Amino acid sequence: MTLRRPSIRSLGVMFILAWTLVPLYWTLNSSLQTDAQITSRPSHYLPPTPSLKHYASLLGGSSDVATAIRRSTLNIFIECAAATVVTVALATLAAYAFARMKFRFGKVLFFAVLLTMAFPPYTTLIPLYRIMTDLGLVNTYTGITLVYVSGFLPLATWILYNYMSSLPLAIEEASQVDGASRMQVLWHVVLPLSLPGVISTAIITFLFAWAQFLFPLVLSSDLSTQPLTVVIASLQGRHTIPFTLMSAAGIIAIVVPAVIALTLNRYIVSGLLSGSVK
Amino acid sequence: MTGTTDLRPTVRDATPPSSDRRRRRGPDLLPYLLVTPLAVFIIGLALVPAGLALVQSFYRVQELNPPVRFAGLDNFRRLFSDDAVLASMGNTMLYVLFGVALSTLLGIVMAMTLRHPFRGRSVLIAIMVLPWALPGVVEGIVWTGIWDSNSGLLNSVLSSLHLISDYHVFLGNNRLLTILAIELVQVWQITPLSTLLILAALQNVPGDLHEAAQLDGCSPWASFRRVTLPLIRPGITIAMVQALIQTLNVFDQPYVLNGSASTGTSLTMQTYFISFQNLDFGEGYALSLVLTITTLVISLGIVKLVYRPVEF
Repeated sequence: MTLRRPSIRSLGVMFILAWTLVPLYWTLNSSLQTDAQITSRPSHYLPPTPSLKHYASLLGGSSDVATAIRRSTLNIFIECAAATVVTVALATLAAYAFARMKFRFGKVLFFAVLLTMAFPPYTTLIPLYRIMTDLGLVNTYTGITLVYVSGFLPLATWILYNYMSSLPLAIEEASQVDGASRMQVLWHVVLPLSLPGVISTAIITFLFAWAQFLFPLVLSSDLSTQPLTVVIASLQGRHTIPFTLMSAAGIIAIVVPAVIALTLNRYIVSGLLSGSVK
Repeated sequence: MTGTTDLRPTVRDATPPSSDRRRRRGPDLLPYLLVTPLAVFIIGLALVPAGLALVQSFYRVQELNPPVRFAGLDNFRRLFSDDAVLASMGNTMLYVLFGVALSTLLGIVMAMTLRHPFRGRSVLIAIMVLPWALPGVVEGIVWTGIWDSNSGLLNSVLSSLHLISDYHVFLGNNRLLTILAIELVQVWQITPLSTLLILAALQNVPGDLHEAAQLDGCSPWASFRRVTLPLIRPGITIAMVQALIQTLNVFDQPYVLNGSASTGTSLTMQTYFISFQNLDFGEGYALSLVLTITTLVISLGIVKLVYRPVEF
């Protein structure tokens, strides 16, 4: 019995590693091969002559594919950063009010926030597109950021509300007694204590924004605002781009979220759990 | 803070916190200021659009055929007589069945693997979470490398093992196989969250319950089924609901892996085609309303069926 349990576990460990890493390894492997090598049957399980030329051509080349990848990488960074900053700032303010103050309509508004969390993700796709069209905000960073923020605010507020509610009241009361205003308490006491929750919220928001596809597909019509995901899907749809180059583009889009997920994992796990349990 | 405890009341009276002062003068405005930006977003960009979708699903809203006018149930009637929509409903049901079943099953297996501390466990959790963090579109590219009919890993491995004589087309020919292959990509993405939710539930199960079961002569399987499983039902419920919401609304993976080929079109894809290619927003509103209500109803169903309150 004592022997069997660790061996069952090592099967599980091997499964998790293979299931997660083999597809990613395969993309990396494809991105390092030439167009001739990748058609070999059976496939090369290791790149025979590993080469970074696809990455070089995407990041430094002047083809229209390379230009599109570079511009959309810039776009995705701008949109993710803007959405993250605005979402976290607004969610922090609101979560503090919900967690620490009693006010009329507070409960109603909080309920409305939770209600929108129950909407399936694309309920508001068409109406938001039409509203953004009317406001002249289609194909602008502002339009995309507004839509992202409206989508991510409920979860962000919920995570931060849970975090702030779990903080001990005593410290805040002590500083109020010392004459600090409530905004000073938020800035100097609650915010530093909530920092792990704020970091979790920021990371999760950033990753959600990075993964968006259908909303920007509808809301951005050309390279001036299209994020990397939209450009990669349209390149794949053309069926003329070699898979080696597509793989390199895929790896470029994976690097940022993968590094965040691997290095800041504990913030993601705690944020996801406080966001979905209860 | 000055001096001893008995001085405190005097100090407090001398400099009352601003909040107290304001409260005496009238309504406290600060909480309203704090929640106003949130309220503007929630009302303006979530509740109003949702209401608009609800109302306009009963109107004819066609970009190429103005003006907008009331149409009663016409949009819904057209939906349910459209073969493409009906096919996508069937496809979506298969996505949901495969997706919820596989992600829950794999989630339980992975969570059981990660249950007890061992060396490298936190690294393994970080790796396990990785697919959750990646965009669905890019996961479509990643798995194209596995499923591809010319140079895919699966074809290469299967033919090296002499299990197939010639390279197969996995996507686009056989409906069931296409949907299973595409859904596996989404399962890859959503299983990490299921695992975390089930793992969190597992960690609340007291260890001595297990030992007691083993002492009573339960086999590991029996103690899992009789002791562990009932106790982690709440975690499994939440995992199934999140999987349901994701799979019912699947878009990125079939869009990238299968384009508009009708073999694997999902309901969300169909909504997109109707609204943004045919520019028939009224019918699009109607379909997304159907999808929203279905999602809410089945979520509640899962909660009713699977959820049991747990007392330790």
